[in-house]
Amino acid sequence: MQSLYDRAFLEPFHRLAEELSRVTPVVMIVLVVVLVGAILAWITRRVVHRLLVLIRFDRIVAHTGLARTLESTRIFRSPAEFGARVVAGLVWLLIALLALSAADTRMTQELVTRFINYLPDLVTAAVVLLLGTVVSKFLARSTLLAAVNAQWAGARALAGGVRILVMSLAVVVALEQLRIGRTALLVSFAILFAGVVMAGAIAFGFGARDLAREWLRTKLKPRAPEEEEEVFRHL
Amino acid sequence: MDNFLPSELLARLEEIGEADIVVGIPSYNNARTVSHVVRAVYAGLTKYFPEYKTIIVNSDGGSKDGTREAVLGTELDTDSLLIVSHPVHPVQRISTPYHGLPGKGSAFRTIFALARHAKAKACVVVDADLRSITPQWIELLAKPVLEREFDFIAPYYLRHKYDGTITNGIIYPMTRALFGKRVRQPIGGDFGFSGRLAARYLEKDVWETDVARFGVDIWMTVTAIAEGFQVGQSYLGAKLHDAKDPGADLTSMFRQVVGSVFGLMETYQNVWQGLKSSEPVPMFGFPFEVGVEPISVNVERMIQAFSQGVSDLREIYQGFLAPQTLEALGNCAQQPHGQFHLQDEVWVHLIYEFAAAWQQHTFDRDHLLQSLVPLYLGRTASFVIEMRESSAAEVEQRIERLCTVFESEKPYLLERWVAEVGKEMTHAKSI
Repeated sequence: MQSLYDRAFLEPFHRLAEELSRVTPVVMIVLVVVLVGAILAWITRRVVHRLLVLIRFDRIVAHTGLARTLESTRIFRSPAEFGARVVAGLVWLLIALLALSAADTRMTQELVTRFINYLPDLVTAAVVLLLGTVVSKFLARSTLLAAVNAQWAGARALAGGVRILVMSLAVVVALEQLRIGRTALLVSFAILFAGVVMAGAIAFGFGARDLAREWLRTKLKPRAPEEEEEVFRHL
Repeated sequence: MDNFLPSELLARLEEIGEADIVVGIPSYNNARTVSHVVRAVYAGLTKYFPEYKTIIVNSDGGSKDGTREAVLGTELDTDSLLIVSHPVHPVQRISTPYHGLPGKGSAFRTIFALARHAKAKACVVVDADLRSITPQWIELLAKPVLEREFDFIAPYYLRHKYDGTITNGIIYPMTRALFGKRVRQPIGGDFGFSGRLAARYLEKDVWETDVARFGVDIWMTVTAIAEGFQVGQSYLGAKLHDAKDPGADLTSMFRQVVGSVFGLMETYQNVWQGLKSSEPVPMFGFPFEVGVEPISVNVERMIQAFSQGVSDLREIYQGFLAPQTLEALGNCAQQPHGQFHLQDEVWVHLIYEFAAAWQQHTFDRDHLLQSLVPLYLGRTASFVIEMRESSAAEVEQRIERLCTVFESEKPYLLERWVAEVGKEMTHAKSI
């Protein structure tokens, strides 16, 4: 018959030692994976940054207008740095998955499998958001410049509206891709979009009746020769 | 090599054979004036170059108002012209649609190719909307090329003091400050040039850019100067043109011309960076006083455009304009309209800062150029207000003063140009 001492202390201690001997190698492996991964991520960041600088990535991104967005966040110094950190982040993600796989428990395995299956959707959503940001910025700036050069009073508001609209569309598509609140999102977006259009129409109708009348008049009525403003040659 | 020329044009050229002088008339919806231009060109060729084989070519951009028909239907009746000598060879006349991007540059490309095909010694191009062209223009533009071995002859006109504000405010001072030659009308549109320069133009791969549109004039001038061709200018008198410039939207025209200058700055940076001063170019013709038509300018609207631009586009400008330039623009926008004035130094710095930003792709290049339009309108308004009571000679002196500021501030451009590259390098090292 086992003594109280055995049952109260020795057996749990043995069980703990057994558990520790089983878990310790796994923890060690996970730690090694994380450590090696950290070094790898650091090297990757440096190498990718150098490569991006070499191919003048900053210049390429400057075309899209994303560079200013990145700089305005005050987190990244340049698009090349942003790109390097994104790639390093992906390396970290890979390391995390490896570490979870190394843990080799049912829960971690399930987590890894679910994450891997979800990865294509996640990447697609990220790309959609990135494209949405670039396109919305570009279109907003195009609208702003065209409106300013046409001397429209509400140029900034118009450009802001274009940006919100395009970005909202990108968010809806991204969330749809991630299968998050599909129906509710679509309905909300439709309501929001219809609301914006209606508000715009009402505002234009009530707030700028004269402008609307004038606009329609000039659009529908051919311009008489005497109305031409000036005989002025810039070139 | 000339595979973009239509087959029927090539067949017609085979028929004609070689020619000494080719005169090109690019057109787009110029039925009202093109006949007058063709008649003047024909008279010029028969009067001043009777011993030469000549071709008049109309390169048309798909006019819908019967421009081509007007060219081909123009009666070239020499009885009504006072021509002392009789031409040895008949003047050949061609009207052809051009291929490629729609625009003046594509029309010119067809003319260059035709000149090369015909082994022309000299070429002349004149706008189809000219009302003041005389037969002597052809002599003044072609003779220095044929007889004095010049490669490029730019026009020198008398224009209304408010006319040609892109030329006076940006293109002339910049061309002069950058490339060191005082060609007064670098985008005049009416040029004489040698056959070998036409062939050189054709070698360039620029026909899918703004050079194919309104950028062609400045591109021709700068290419000739920067590549060391012999450049001169001829005094042509007054330049009067059809009031309506078909299809000329200021923003796109401005973008094409100024964008082409910035592009040329990049292409020939090794040429202009070493030049420190400018020199006059030989002048042909006899300068005389002529009256020019009055021009109405809506200054109020230009100032409004400027103020709106400074306010609404501030975020864009902050991306590349120097803080002191931005501050000066802000102060300028606050001025009462009657006293509106944009200083030369601010204007010159502004243009140089835009050029450096263009070089560095700080923004989408189209957007960058579009954002310069309201500021240009402000500068134009300032110029018009300042010159309201001035004579033509005083205006010319004023433009001369602006040119000297462009020249004296060239080190600032060099600094920005280099500094922007340096900034990129600093970024590279900072991580």
